[in-house]
Amino acid sequence: MEARLTGIERNEVLHYLGWPGVGLSKELAAAFERCERTLLDTARPRAVWRLFPLLPDGRLEGTGYAPAGESVRELLRECGAVVLMAATLGTEVERLIRRAQLENMGDAVILDACGSAAIENVCDNLCADLADELRPRHLTDRFSPGYGDMPLAEQRELFYVLDVTRRIGVSLSDSGLMLPQKSVTALIGVSDRPQPKRHRGCSSCSMFETCAFRKDGKSCGAL
Amino acid sequence: MGKAVEHSEILLLDGGMGTMLQAAGLPLGQTPEVWNVTEPEKVAAVHRKYVEAGSRLLYTNTFGANRYKAARCGYAPAELIEGGVRCARMAAGDLPVKVALDIGPLGQLLEPLGTLRFEEAYEAFREQVVAGAAAGADLIVIETMSDLYEVKAAVLAAKENADLPVWVTMSFEASGRTFVGTTVSAMALTLTGLGVDALGFNCSLGPKELIPLLAELRQWTDLPLILKPNAGLPDPATGAYHITPAAFARELLPALGMGVRIFGGCCGTTPDFIRELGTVLTAFAPGERKTDRRFGVCSAANTAEFDGVRVIGERINPTGKRRFQQALREDDLDYIIARGVEQQDAGAEILDVNVGLPGIDEPRMMTRVVRALQGVTDLPLMLDSSDPAAIEAGLRAVNGKAIVNSVNGEAAVLDAVLPLCKKYGAAVVGLCMDRGGIPQTWRERAAIAERIVEAALSYGIDKNDILIDCLTLTVSAQQSQAAETLRALRWVKEELGVRTVLGVSNISFGLPAREHITVSFLTQAMQAGLDFPIVNPNSEAVMDAVASFRVLSGQDRDAEGYIRRFANVPAEAEKPKASGGMTLADAVMRGLRGETAALTREALETMSEMDVIEKLLTPALDRVGERYEKQEIFLPQLINAANAACEGFELIKKQLAKRGGASVSKGKILLATVRGDIHDIGKNIVRVVLENYGYTVLDLGRDVPPQEIVDAAVREDVRLVGLSALMTTTVVSMEETIRALRLSGHPCKIMVGGAVLTPEYAAEIGADYYARDAKQSADIARQVLG
Repeated sequence: MEARLTGIERNEVLHYLGWPGVGLSKELAAAFERCERTLLDTARPRAVWRLFPLLPDGRLEGTGYAPAGESVRELLRECGAVVLMAATLGTEVERLIRRAQLENMGDAVILDACGSAAIENVCDNLCADLADELRPRHLTDRFSPGYGDMPLAEQRELFYVLDVTRRIGVSLSDSGLMLPQKSVTALIGVSDRPQPKRHRGCSSCSMFETCAFRKDGKSCGAL
Repeated sequence: MGKAVEHSEILLLDGGMGTMLQAAGLPLGQTPEVWNVTEPEKVAAVHRKYVEAGSRLLYTNTFGANRYKAARCGYAPAELIEGGVRCARMAAGDLPVKVALDIGPLGQLLEPLGTLRFEEAYEAFREQVVAGAAAGADLIVIETMSDLYEVKAAVLAAKENADLPVWVTMSFEASGRTFVGTTVSAMALTLTGLGVDALGFNCSLGPKELIPLLAELRQWTDLPLILKPNAGLPDPATGAYHITPAAFARELLPALGMGVRIFGGCCGTTPDFIRELGTVLTAFAPGERKTDRRFGVCSAANTAEFDGVRVIGERINPTGKRRFQQALREDDLDYIIARGVEQQDAGAEILDVNVGLPGIDEPRMMTRVVRALQGVTDLPLMLDSSDPAAIEAGLRAVNGKAIVNSVNGEAAVLDAVLPLCKKYGAAVVGLCMDRGGIPQTWRERAAIAERIVEAALSYGIDKNDILIDCLTLTVSAQQSQAAETLRALRWVKEELGVRTVLGVSNISFGLPAREHITVSFLTQAMQAGLDFPIVNPNSEAVMDAVASFRVLSGQDRDAEGYIRRFANVPAEAEKPKASGGMTLADAVMRGLRGETAALTREALETMSEMDVIEKLLTPALDRVGERYEKQEIFLPQLINAANAACEGFELIKKQLAKRGGASVSKGKILLATVRGDIHDIGKNIVRVVLENYGYTVLDLGRDVPPQEIVDAAVREDVRLVGLSALMTTTVVSMEETIRALRLSGHPCKIMVGGAVLTPEYAAEIGADYYARDAKQSADIARQVLG
C-alpha cells in the first residue's frame, strides 16, 4: 500500500488562508494554480502503519503503549484492534516552503496552505486503502494526539512504537513538534461492527490548535 | 581495520539487534540500550549467537545511546555505552572478534530544515565517541544516517576525539536519495574526502533494492564498501520481514562480484541470515574493484562532476560592489543569499563565496553565509578567502565537498591551507603567483603551478582535486598578458594533467562594451583547456558561449542542453514599462513587482528618496493594510503588495548606497520565534511586512532561547521586540522570554503574536502589545518607533 497524494482541495486551501469569499484576481488565481502544481510535483508522500491487537488492559499487543484519555476510550469502545499510522509529504515539501519564504512570501503562504490540504488528502487516501485492506472489519475515524483529551505528548509513544523516524524520515523535536511540518500521526480503531462518524467538529481537526476561524469564534464549515 | 578487508577475505558483520531483543522480551517502543545496564546477559546472549553464526565484528547495542534519545530512559549515554561495549566484549571472549561502537542518528533534524545546530550535534557525538573509546571499542560505526550534515558532525567528532577507524553507512530510498535528499555520489565524495575507512549502505531496503545503488556508489570512491541490508521490505500490518536467509544471501551475491567485502544484516535479519551469508559468500571468488573513479564537488543533494566545463558564479563577492558591502556590514544575509539563488537560476553550477571586507569578522561571516546558502540552494560551494581561519570555518560549515580558493606558490600559504583541504576533503585552487607577484611569462607561471601540484600531492590531496588558476590580467592595462595566460593554461592542462580554473571577467575591465571581450576570451580559454570559468552567470552572452562550447566540444551530447536552453526563448522578453497610466499605488496594490520598480525609478527622477518613501510607497502600503482589515483582500495579496513595495525600497537603498549615504531605516525591530517552536512562517510574514514599511528587522530565527533574545536586544539596543509562538505548549517559553527581558532591565516594548494567543492571554504573560496579524504589527511599530 503506497502513500498516495491525489489532489489538493482548492476550497480547503482558501479556507486555511482566511479567504473572505471575494473573487480571486487574475494574478492570484494564477498563483494558486502555480502553487498547487508545484506542490503536487514536489511532494513525495510516505506513510507507515501497523495493526495491533488491543489488549483488555488498554495496551497495544507487543508494546508498552496504552493510548490515554476519555476520548480514545470512547473511540475504541467496540474495537479489538488498532492501527497506528504516520504520514508525511517529505522534506522535499519542507524545503520548498522554506525556500519560497525567501524568494516569494506570497507564494509561500499559499504553498503552506496547499501542504496542509495535501497531507489531509494523503491521510484520507491511506484510510480509504486501509478500509479496503481490513474489510470486512470496520474503521473508526482517524484520531491524532492533541484531539479531544488525548495528550499531545503521546506523539512520542507513537514515534517509538512505529519507528517513524527510521521508516519515513519524520523527526520529533524536544518540544514534541514534527519535522517535516506537513506530517500527521494518528490512531484508528478496527471493529467488527460499523463505526459511526463520532468526531465531527473542531476538536478533531488537525488545524485545531492554530485555526484562525476558531479563534474568532467561527468555524470554517468543513467539518 | 578498513585495510584488513581491502585485499583479502570477506568480513562478516552481525544482523538485527532490536528484533532479537524484542524476541527476548523487550517491549516494542522501549529504549533497547537500557538492557545494556539492566539485562546485560540477554544482550550478550544475542551477540554470542551472532559470533556462533560467524560474525567477526559486533556492533554494540548503542544505536540510540545519545543525549537526545536517551533522555527519556533516565540513563546517561556514557553508562549505556560502557555497558554496551562490555556486553559485546563478553560475547567476543578470546575469539578473533572485534567490537564496533555503534552510533545512530540523534533523532533530531539539523539546521537548516530542523533546529539542531551542527555544534550541538558534534557535542552529542563527541560524548558517545569518548565513552566508546574509553570502554575499549575497536572501531566506530556511524550507521542508518539520512542527513549528510549529521554524518559530517559525527565523523569529525570521531576523528577529532578518538584514534579509531571510522566506518559510515547511510540509509537510502530506492530513488537513490535519503529521506533528507542526500545522494549516493554526494555521500561518497564527502566521506571519502573526510577520510573515513569504509562506507556503504544499511537498513531501509533489502539486498535486491540496494544493488543498483551500490553500482552508483562504487564509481565515486575507492574505499572498502559495506552492505548491511534489511531482510527485504516489511509487511506493513505486522512489521514482520518475510525474506528467507537463503534468498537474502543469494540476492547479495551480485555485490560480491562488485567488490564488496564487508557484509551483514539490519532489520529483520537473525543469526541464521549471517550463517547462510558465510556459507554462500565464501563459496565464490570475490570480484575486483574497478579503478576508473569519478570526481567532483557536491552539496548533500547535488554533485557537480569534474567531466567538462562547469560554471562558477562570481557574484557573492564584495569587491567593487557598494550594495554588497553594505549588506555585509549590516548583517543582511538575505541580500547575500539572494545573490546565490539568482545565480543558480541563471545556470551557475558552483558558487564562489567571498565575504572578506575590512572590519568584518570573516570566519564568523563565512560560517553564517555558508549555512544560509545551504538553506536555499543546493549548489556546491567554493570558499574564497586568503584567511586560513575563514577557510577552516567555511570548510567545517559546508555540507558536502567544497573547493578552497585559494593557495599560491608561497610555502607559508601552502603549509597553512593544504592540511585543511586534506582534513576536510576539499578540492583546492592554486594561483600561479607567489611572493614575487604574478610572473609575466607563461613559463614562470607554469613553474609555480608545478610547485603547487607537487605540494598538494605531498599533503595527500588527490591529483583530481587540484585546480590551477593561471590568472587573468586586464587586457586594457597589460595587453600581452592575455596570450601568456592562455599559453600557461594550455601547458598546465596538457603537461601537468590537472584541472584549470580562471576568473574571466577581469579581462575586460576598463573597456567599453566589456561583454564582447569577456566572451571572446572565455571561448579561447575553454578551447585552451579551461574547466571552471568563474564568471557572472547573469550575463546571457557568457552563458550562451558556454552552452555553445559544450556542443562543439562534445560535452553536451546531441546538443540536448543547448536545445533546451534555446527552444522556448520568447521572441523578446517583455520589460515591464511604466505605462498605461498605472500609478505606483496601483502597482503596489496589485503586487506587480516589475511595474513598482519601474514607477519608483520614474518617481526618483523628480523626487527625493525620502519623498518617494513618505509620499508614495508608505501611503500605498497603508491603503493595502486598510483593505486587508476590511477583508477586501486577504493574506497572499497583502504579502504580494508588501513584496512589490520592497522592489521600490530596494531601488532606493541601492541609490543611497551608491552615493555612500547611510541606509534609510525607521528603526530596529527584533523578531524571534521562541524556544521550542519551529513554526515560523507567521514570524517571517511579519518580517516581510515590517521591512517593507521601512523598519530594519533583526530576525533571530526559530527555536531561539530566551537569553539569546535578551543578549541581542541589549547589544543592538532594540526598542521593540516581537515574539511569536504557535502552540499552547510553546507559549510557556514566550512567557519565560518576556520575564527574562524585563529582568535584564533593558527598556523595550514587547509585542507578541501567534495562533493560540488572544489579547487577554498576551496581557497575562506580560506583553505590551498583542498583534493579531502582520498588519497590526506594523501599526504597533509605528506607535512605538514612529
